[in-house]
Amino acid sequence: MNLLIVEDDRSLAAYLSAELRSCGHEVVVAVDGHAGLRAVLDRKFDAIVLDRMMPHIDGLSMVRTLREDGITTPVIMVTALGQSADRIDGLDGGADDYVVKPVDVDELNARLHALVRGRAWMQSDSDTISAKDVTVSPTRMRAWYRGIALDLPKTEFNLLAELVRNADSVLTRKMLYEKVWQFEGEPAAKLVDAYVSRLRRRISAQVGDDPIVTIRGLGYMVRA
Amino acid sequence: MKRLPLRTLAALLLLAVIIASVATAIGTLIVTRATIARLVDRRITEESLSIVEADRILPTSVLIRRIEDAARRRDTGDIGFVLARDDGRALVGNVVLHRPLPLGYSNLTSGDRIEGLTHGRALVRAVGEGRVLTTLAETEPIQDLNSIRVLIVTGGFASVILIVSGGLSAFGRIISHRITRMQRTVDAIIDGDMSERVLVDGLGSELDQQAQAFNRMLDRIATLMASISNVTHDIAHDLRTPLARLRALLALAHREAGDAQTSDRLAKALVEVDQILAMFGAILRIAEVEGGNRRAGFKPFNLAALLEETAALYEPLAEEEGHLLLLDAPMQEVMLHGDRQLVAQGIINLVENAIRHTPAGTRIQLRLESAKAAVRVIVEDDGPGIATSQHGKALSRFGRLEEARGSDGHGLGLPLVEGIARLHRGAVTLVDAEPGLRAVMTLPIAPGLVKGRA
Repeated sequence: MNLLIVEDDRSLAAYLSAELRSCGHEVVVAVDGHAGLRAVLDRKFDAIVLDRMMPHIDGLSMVRTLREDGITTPVIMVTALGQSADRIDGLDGGADDYVVKPVDVDELNARLHALVRGRAWMQSDSDTISAKDVTVSPTRMRAWYRGIALDLPKTEFNLLAELVRNADSVLTRKMLYEKVWQFEGEPAAKLVDAYVSRLRRRISAQVGDDPIVTIRGLGYMVRA
Repeated sequence: MKRLPLRTLAALLLLAVIIASVATAIGTLIVTRATIARLVDRRITEESLSIVEADRILPTSVLIRRIEDAARRRDTGDIGFVLARDDGRALVGNVVLHRPLPLGYSNLTSGDRIEGLTHGRALVRAVGEGRVLTTLAETEPIQDLNSIRVLIVTGGFASVILIVSGGLSAFGRIISHRITRMQRTVDAIIDGDMSERVLVDGLGSELDQQAQAFNRMLDRIATLMASISNVTHDIAHDLRTPLARLRALLALAHREAGDAQTSDRLAKALVEVDQILAMFGAILRIAEVEGGNRRAGFKPFNLAALLEETAALYEPLAEEEGHLLLLDAPMQEVMLHGDRQLVAQGIINLVENAIRHTPAGTRIQLRLESAKAAVRVIVEDDGPGIATSQHGKALSRFGRLEEARGSDGHGLGLPLVEGIARLHRGAVTLVDAEPGLRAVMTLPIAPGLVKGRA
């Protein structure tokens, strides 16, 4: 992925760019909002990692400026405050997602993948999403694994749909919690685990095995 | 004395003023009467001596003439003379006595039936040869003066008492008004609004000075709290960044671990780091909740529906852990004005606590109870419970009980619930459910918002 990091804290910017490069991304760093805007006008990025609190032009104004200019590059806001009001502000301003400092690079990487793939899926008109052996139809609330129709309760269905929508990307428990339950608050890691194991048992009982892969120390994934 | 309430003190003061006033009035009256009696006595003594000097013996005829002269000379006619034998037979006089008077000074009243006299004083002297001379004078005008004096004194002191009691009550009202105002400020601050201050009227009175000092103290506390919160924030931030890097490295090492033992150890290390990060998250969250800023976003929401959603959400996790989660929901709609997300977090923490700290097979019941102007969210289990003596510790920060040390959790779950309840002007209590633990989050509610009791 082609990434732009806009971050005034040089040591954090250096750390993030090094880590994201080691994940296989190409990274450009801008140290303030002005430099960030210039970089965006210069070339096309797949996603922008944007610090919310910066001198001169802060992250919020920058994302607004981008959206007003019709630039729809996905933006992940990095917020230090970790307070809900700021998160909502960030999303209202046109950001697509947010991470709270301190930035967990695995989490950030997972979110970047999900964001870019999510965009790709949204651009297709098809009602169903597929990943290898799994097909999900969110509008009809139906899912199939290895050609067998699955009987799933609503939450388990949403969980599977989210995993399939982001096939080949790891979804952290935090991401799943936010997307499937849309509950604010500390992620209840065990809660997500409980639902995932329920989902796996359900599918296994109906088909014999399940398509979900556990990525230890990180989250869950469905292979494409 | 210093333990008496203000009202009692004021009453005592008033009583003291009344007692002092009455004592002064009575004292004045007694002294005045004695003085008047002395004046009247001096006059009748002089008149008596003008008839016959002390120790002189005059013939009766001389005495009679002198008495008649004196009686004539007095156009006021307020002095009476009687010269009598000691057997009571009158020789001469301008008044008639109906009883024998003792020697020396004595009081006369209307009972003595002396014409034109209701109050008076008499002096009886032996003037030799078995004769007694009685001289008497009216004190009636003086008696009238006395009653006026009583009236004046009574009126005067009554007005003094009125002024004092009126002043006391006005003073009391001013003080109680001030105290009420200060109390409101204190309540607002207890509620978490550190911006509230006592009103200063600028008159420079002692009360005003006290209010100013109180406000200065609050400014100081607010500054200290802000700096503590900044320090907390800085520590959390400065430690969380390296911790996040540590976590990323551990996760990478864990994914690339060659053998099962290393992988296992790294997985445990990851759990520990997650625990620490969760603890920092909880600390920052408690700080946010305690700041009270979230009140600005309060909206009405249906608490009964939220409880139902939470029960549905946690039912799989409870089942996974071998617990039975039950919802007892007789109320369909309980509208609460508050922060839905935070109340949800509070209920989640209570439910997670119940699941985490009880053995498999425990029943966990969720229910709502309406109380006077409040609603209670109750999470009750029939597990081993917590000893009543440990309830306070369980609610305090990092107050993990010995039995819970081995399990996960960071001891900040219940303090956060308490912070959330306080933000909604409520409270959290732990009760022995015999057996088990009943955690109660009481949230004040506007009347008329509870509907549909089945």
